[in-house]
Amino acid sequence: MFWARTPYARASQTPVEQPLEFDHRHHTRDEGIDCRYCHNTVDKAPFASIPPTQLCLNCHSQVWNKSPLLEPVRQSFIENKPLVWNRVYKVPEFVYFNHSIHVGKGVGCVTCHGRVDQMAAVEKQTPLNMGWCLDCHRHPEKNLRPVSEVTNMTWHAEGDADETARVLAEKNDVHTRTSCTTCHR
Amino acid sequence: MASTATSASTTNDPLEPIPLIEGAQTDESLNSSLLNHVWRLPGKGWWTLFGLALAGLGLLVVGITVTLWKGIGMWGNNIPVGWAFGIINFVWWIGIGHAGTLISAILLLLQQKWRTSINRFAEAMTLFAVICALLFPLIHTGRPWFAAYWLMPYPSVQGIWPQFKSPLVWDVFAVSTYFTISLLFWFLGLIPDLASLRDSSKKPMQKVIYGLFALGWRGSGRHWAEYKWAYLLLAGLSTPLVLSVHTIVSFDFAVSILPGWHTTVFPPYFVAGAVFSGFAMVVTWMVPARQFLGLKHVVTLKHLENMNKVILATGLMVSYGYAMEHFIAWYSGSQYEFAEFFEVRMRGPMAPVYWLMMFCNVVVPNIFWFKKARTNLLIMWVTALLVNVGMWCERFNIIATSLHRDFLPSKWELYAPTWVDWSIYLGTIGLFSTLFLLFLKFVPAVAVTEVKELRHELAHKAHGHAEEAHG
Amino acid sequence: MSSHDQDPPQDHPEDHARSTIVGNGASSGSTRRISLPIVDEALAATEAASGAAREQRKYWRSIAEKEGSPKLAAAATREFPPGASELPPSDVSRRSFMKLFGGGAAAAGLAACHPPQEQAIPFVRRPEEVTPGNALHFATAYGVEGFGMGLIVESHEGRPTKIEGNPDHHDSLGATGRYEQALLQGLYDNDRAKQLKHKDQPLTWRSFLGQMAVLSARHAADGGAKLRFLTEPTASPLQLELRKRILEKFPKAKFTSYSSIAGDGAADGLKLAYGKYVEARHELTRASVIVSLDADFLGEGPESVRAQRQFAAGRQTGAPMNRLYVVEPALTVTGMSADHRLRLRAGDVAGFALALATELGRRPGFAQLAGIAGAGRGVTAGDPKWIGAVASDLIKHRGQSLLIAGRRQPAAVHAVVAAINAALDNVGTTVTYATPLLADPLAGPKALVPLAEEIASGQVDTLVITAYNPVYTAPVDLKFDKLLARVPTTVYSAAYEDETAAVASYVIPAAHVLESWGDARATDGTVSLVQPLIAPLWAGYTDVEILSAFLGEGDLGAYEVLRRSWAAKQSTVPGATAEFDQVWEKWVGDGVIVGTETAPEAALALDGAAIQQGLGALLSSAPKGGGIEIAFVPDYKVVDGRFANSAWLQELPDPVHKITWDNAALISPAMAKTLGVEVERDNDKFSVLVIEYKDRRVHAPALIAPGHADDAITLALGYGRTGAESVASGVGFNAGALRGSDAPWFDRGAQVSLATGMHLFGLTQNHWSMENREPAIATSLAEFENAHSEARELIEERRSELPVIHEPHDYSKEQYKWGMTIDLGKCTGCSACVVACQAENNIPTVGQEQVVRGREMQWIRVDRYYSGELEDPEVIVQPLMCQHCETAPCEYVCPVNATVHSDEGLNEMVYNRCVGTRYCSNNCPYKVRRFNFLDFTSETPAVRRLGMNPEVTVRSRGVMEKCTYCVQRIERKRIDVRVAGRLIEDGELKTACQQGCPAGAIEFGNLNDPKSRVTKSQADERRYDLLHELGTRPRTAYLARVRNLNPELAKG
Repeated sequence: MFWARTPYARASQTPVEQPLEFDHRHHTRDEGIDCRYCHNTVDKAPFASIPPTQLCLNCHSQVWNKSPLLEPVRQSFIENKPLVWNRVYKVPEFVYFNHSIHVGKGVGCVTCHGRVDQMAAVEKQTPLNMGWCLDCHRHPEKNLRPVSEVTNMTWHAEGDADETARVLAEKNDVHTRTSCTTCHR
Repeated sequence: MASTATSASTTNDPLEPIPLIEGAQTDESLNSSLLNHVWRLPGKGWWTLFGLALAGLGLLVVGITVTLWKGIGMWGNNIPVGWAFGIINFVWWIGIGHAGTLISAILLLLQQKWRTSINRFAEAMTLFAVICALLFPLIHTGRPWFAAYWLMPYPSVQGIWPQFKSPLVWDVFAVSTYFTISLLFWFLGLIPDLASLRDSSKKPMQKVIYGLFALGWRGSGRHWAEYKWAYLLLAGLSTPLVLSVHTIVSFDFAVSILPGWHTTVFPPYFVAGAVFSGFAMVVTWMVPARQFLGLKHVVTLKHLENMNKVILATGLMVSYGYAMEHFIAWYSGSQYEFAEFFEVRMRGPMAPVYWLMMFCNVVVPNIFWFKKARTNLLIMWVTALLVNVGMWCERFNIIATSLHRDFLPSKWELYAPTWVDWSIYLGTIGLFSTLFLLFLKFVPAVAVTEVKELRHELAHKAHGHAEEAHG
Repeated sequence: MSSHDQDPPQDHPEDHARSTIVGNGASSGSTRRISLPIVDEALAATEAASGAAREQRKYWRSIAEKEGSPKLAAAATREFPPGASELPPSDVSRRSFMKLFGGGAAAAGLAACHPPQEQAIPFVRRPEEVTPGNALHFATAYGVEGFGMGLIVESHEGRPTKIEGNPDHHDSLGATGRYEQALLQGLYDNDRAKQLKHKDQPLTWRSFLGQMAVLSARHAADGGAKLRFLTEPTASPLQLELRKRILEKFPKAKFTSYSSIAGDGAADGLKLAYGKYVEARHELTRASVIVSLDADFLGEGPESVRAQRQFAAGRQTGAPMNRLYVVEPALTVTGMSADHRLRLRAGDVAGFALALATELGRRPGFAQLAGIAGAGRGVTAGDPKWIGAVASDLIKHRGQSLLIAGRRQPAAVHAVVAAINAALDNVGTTVTYATPLLADPLAGPKALVPLAEEIASGQVDTLVITAYNPVYTAPVDLKFDKLLARVPTTVYSAAYEDETAAVASYVIPAAHVLESWGDARATDGTVSLVQPLIAPLWAGYTDVEILSAFLGEGDLGAYEVLRRSWAAKQSTVPGATAEFDQVWEKWVGDGVIVGTETAPEAALALDGAAIQQGLGALLSSAPKGGGIEIAFVPDYKVVDGRFANSAWLQELPDPVHKITWDNAALISPAMAKTLGVEVERDNDKFSVLVIEYKDRRVHAPALIAPGHADDAITLALGYGRTGAESVASGVGFNAGALRGSDAPWFDRGAQVSLATGMHLFGLTQNHWSMENREPAIATSLAEFENAHSEARELIEERRSELPVIHEPHDYSKEQYKWGMTIDLGKCTGCSACVVACQAENNIPTVGQEQVVRGREMQWIRVDRYYSGELEDPEVIVQPLMCQHCETAPCEYVCPVNATVHSDEGLNEMVYNRCVGTRYCSNNCPYKVRRFNFLDFTSETPAVRRLGMNPEVTVRSRGVMEKCTYCVQRIERKRIDVRVAGRLIEDGELKTACQQGCPAGAIEFGNLNDPKSRVTKSQADERRYDLLHELGTRPRTAYLARVRNLNPELAKG
């Protein structure tokens, strides 16, 4: 009961080693690339999707195209073998999470994934257990923002937070559901 | 009372009612007859029975292993018969448990002297019966590893709770409470005897063990005072349980909408049935036990006769319950209810069970109208056995028979138990016997302290009489 | 933990191993990319995993490499099969992606236990139209009897996962039959032939082509005099074209179309009537009186799905209803839907036809029939009163009536029926005749005889077999297995290593239709292109490729052959004027080529005289004499055995008799009595019969079939298989062992006796009667129109809203209030919905033993009740699934909240919360809940899991499950429309059963929308609630069935 509430039990807050030194800080903060450039199905599909190698090379065929760090990427493309990443976020089989609806209703990336723009190696920030999901599904307002700001890591409501929340819920037409089959089918 | 008092003396006048304690007994003689068997090695009879019991226990282990390994599919259950042996046996065992609580608690409160020498015995049975019963609700579920704690109300990270509307959740509370109280009640009663065992034990090891359980009992006046209070208190606590537990068990069925389950008469008639089967079970064990353990002088025919009277009374209540069920089935005008009682049960493929139940529970107990039967060891033993069978059939009838043909004829299916069903059922009987035999061996089967007390009481009263006579 | 296990509760972090196939698996699965060699290993391993290790496969690969076959070498590096490069870009990536993904997921499925650290594998190049987690839909076509039904196949990350009908298709109208729904089982089947072999030696495709080239060179010498082709009956333009070109190359070669279930009576009969071969097409919408002479037109055949939709359209009260008379020996789907049914032995139907003709002939204006009837020489059968009534009814509806004769009936009957239809002016309205689309009008068992004779007399050197399993299906007297052994070279396109594959010299693993390029025609001639949804899981080759091997045009591949032929034919398609690439893309996309339908023949002259003299001959040859009649029927589940390896179909309860995993000798109750058949109905046990006919005998378990004709036995074909198919083998008995080429459908003179012992059937329903509870209400139109009739009062009493102790949540405020209506008037009991549901919801099969124990898992149960006397009962069917009660008895008894009500009124079943107390099922008055008594899913071969629906959790052992109203479809649709910022509109959301239902008997939708179809149908005056008196307030309502009885025949 208590153990289950520890981050350790949830394997969160521990950076996950990746096969290749990909640094979100560099890409998002320094280069200011929008999350959706790489995770480009996040607003139309259940899965945000990990970018195909091809997409990496859109830039890296031009920049750093000699960098040894990027060798695996080039290899992957040439040999047509996928890059194998280690999963960070995973919900159980019987949970049907859908990114598109959350993004579409103004739930920011940072709300669940944390300040990825400050992580050298990405780590799981949230417990991802049912109680946590329900918290938000019962009172979504506090986690809403303008749909235009979903990928903004630093957005904060100006003025009366509660008021903004109410307005946003209205504007984004948010109807969170807590019926079991919303997530379990 | 007066009359019984004289029985303390040796007279054995046929006009005298059967005494509560036979022969001239002193504390010492009682000690030797009731405590010392603990020091002796058990006889052949005990070992044979114990062997059989262990074999039964083996069956249980096999049955449960298979069930957990392959799944509930190893049982005979199907759709529509979702519940069968598992729940039948659960209810049966819980019922059996009731005698103990009734005898020790209620009769104590009613100051029934005759309870004294049999209450320990009955309480032990309660305890073991409830242990057997507790097995079933757990292993009959599809995923026991979750059922074990998802039915408990605790703040889980899933942010959801059990469904308090469900009688199964009520069951969890009812049965677990029942178990705890029974355990405490039984153990508390044991303490003084454990102490005297500790004192009379020869080997240091025994001293230590009995000492531990005796909780440092010194028999000081203060101890006795506290002890009496605690005992009375627990008696008070467990009294409502006798009624509540089986009432709630009956809700498992009564709150459903199934013809044959959906019945308001269930709570009282389940309690009556429980006491009925419970006493039958006590008699079943008491008759041989008093033979082999030489308890004849404390567990007298009077005790047995009284129990048979209770069996007769509760048997009649059960019969009344049946009558009501059938009457309502007809009177309600519901074609489903009517079909259930007058077609499916009486004439359906499982009719034999129904008629056997009727014979064992309605016809047989009436033999106890006759004193001869009430006091004849063989007759009462056979009767008690039949009642046990009958009560098992009753549960089968209520559960399996009602389920196998309910509302829509298109989904009527037969039910047949598998070998796993049987081995688990017989297995629990094995478990019960094992525990019981160990109990007979290692702790005094009769509450020695209470018997001594009773003896003093009686002796004192007798003395008083004598003086009056002179004066 | 295996892949489909429920997860442990959130409190228990230990054992988090899980699959990548179900549920979220799609995420890791979808982004999985593995190159071809791995695919092969994966699949090889898959086989190993499923206990069928195929060593030679690896061996074969190595040979291939030794031979250095360019094709294979290429295959190992290239992603797509040849021709793909010509595809529209989307297709390229799709096909390649599929091939790769197939392996990827298989590999995933293999790994029983993943490391705790899961991996996510993205694409290297993601195909444009693939959005991981979003399904795609592609059109294709498939049919059993030579015609193709248009299909729309749903594909998840390249795995076909669900089959639906193509609404634009003439024969489908958006629905499907049982077989189409079960196609996936045929695709993801480990028992499929995977290995091209010559005399059991592995062979590469290339060397096969080489050897065929040599062979055809030899045959070319004598114009192919000793070259024969045995094909399925087909109307495929491409097949016909290939045929033509082959015959040009080998003028003396011969093609034979053969299917053991094809009936030749129709073709011959119509030839007799009209002097040439024509195909009959039926328009039931225009028919108000339909008479079926042993024709199961609703239950089987390429027209049946369409026929059901059209027939159902005429079963509404408040509009003129059609009336169906059926004359048949054993109850069929059509017979169950009949308003009046006459049980006659198949052999007596001819007599009935003539009697009817005679009767009509007596009436003014039908003299022409009198003559024809005269030729009948007074052969007659059936109750004169009945016949009289039918005759007058027909006359009353002259021009809008229809007679249909069954495939089993001889030419005589079909000729007479044609004559009657003509006399009734039905030709041109309810029935039209068109030049045959099928390659050969005659394709039944008799068609095999000439070929057999040729083989016997050594005139065949090479026999190419693309027909289904002739060794098993051919009439026994032909001894086809022996014959094949005498043909030097036999090339067999084998779906499975079946009976024929065992004796053929060349065994070519056939590509599944979902792996093939090709084309097909609808019954009206409309062409559909067949496109692959996935590249062959194992080496698989299409008939097209095999036939083209004899054209010596090199290895083009089916795609290229098809595309070239249509490039050439483009001009013949009206309106297809654009650039071919665009036209092609449209054709492939739409699934139908508009404008390719063929017009019926205009002025056809009925040749009465010919019929008259033809009849005499035909009737004299018709079966006569006494003795018991044996009659054969194609099975409702395995047809002629071709679907015998599909567990879904094997476990599907027979629409009429509710048999699973078996076939039976159907006999009437009276006959059972005379034979002394023993029955233990509660245990589903019946005596076994010994049936002797000529020199043949079989042991067949008897099943008492109410409404069966006396002195007749009906035997279903397709069982008692002895091939290498693991599911099919050992199921049932082979009725074909009694079947002769002289009388392939029925004959008299069988000897029947009792064998010792009883047979245990896996019946899903053994109680026939409704016990006066009337769960399924049927009434006559007359009664229904009288507002005070018993039936009407019963319905009234079952639709009011009963008071409940505490009112449920007020759903009228919600956006949606889901509800369903099932129209018993439309439902024929065909059971397509059951298979559709099974496919959509990952429902496991449990095998006969578990069915016997009463543990079948299908979420939909089609109940069948008999009423009236057993000899001639009235039948009614009632599909039953979770009723989604608003005050659901199952919910309040669940101790862990595993089944609860949603804000929209769905009765939700939360598998991962269920602990399996089964109390919910006990307390469910409809008994529609299903429990995983054992682990029914972990044995599923990895390759099967490819076909599972990633939107639905696969349930583990010890968990309750039931109909969810396809909640996964609701939720996905909800999300889509909410992202788009609108509401779900009526009709854009369908449950699997509704979408599959040929009759359109199921409506589903939003009860809060006053305009929705379901709201309207629930307002229908036939509407009632099942077990209404319990106050459960079911969301599923039923519409009572109304029989349109003929007043002259209406009983009492």
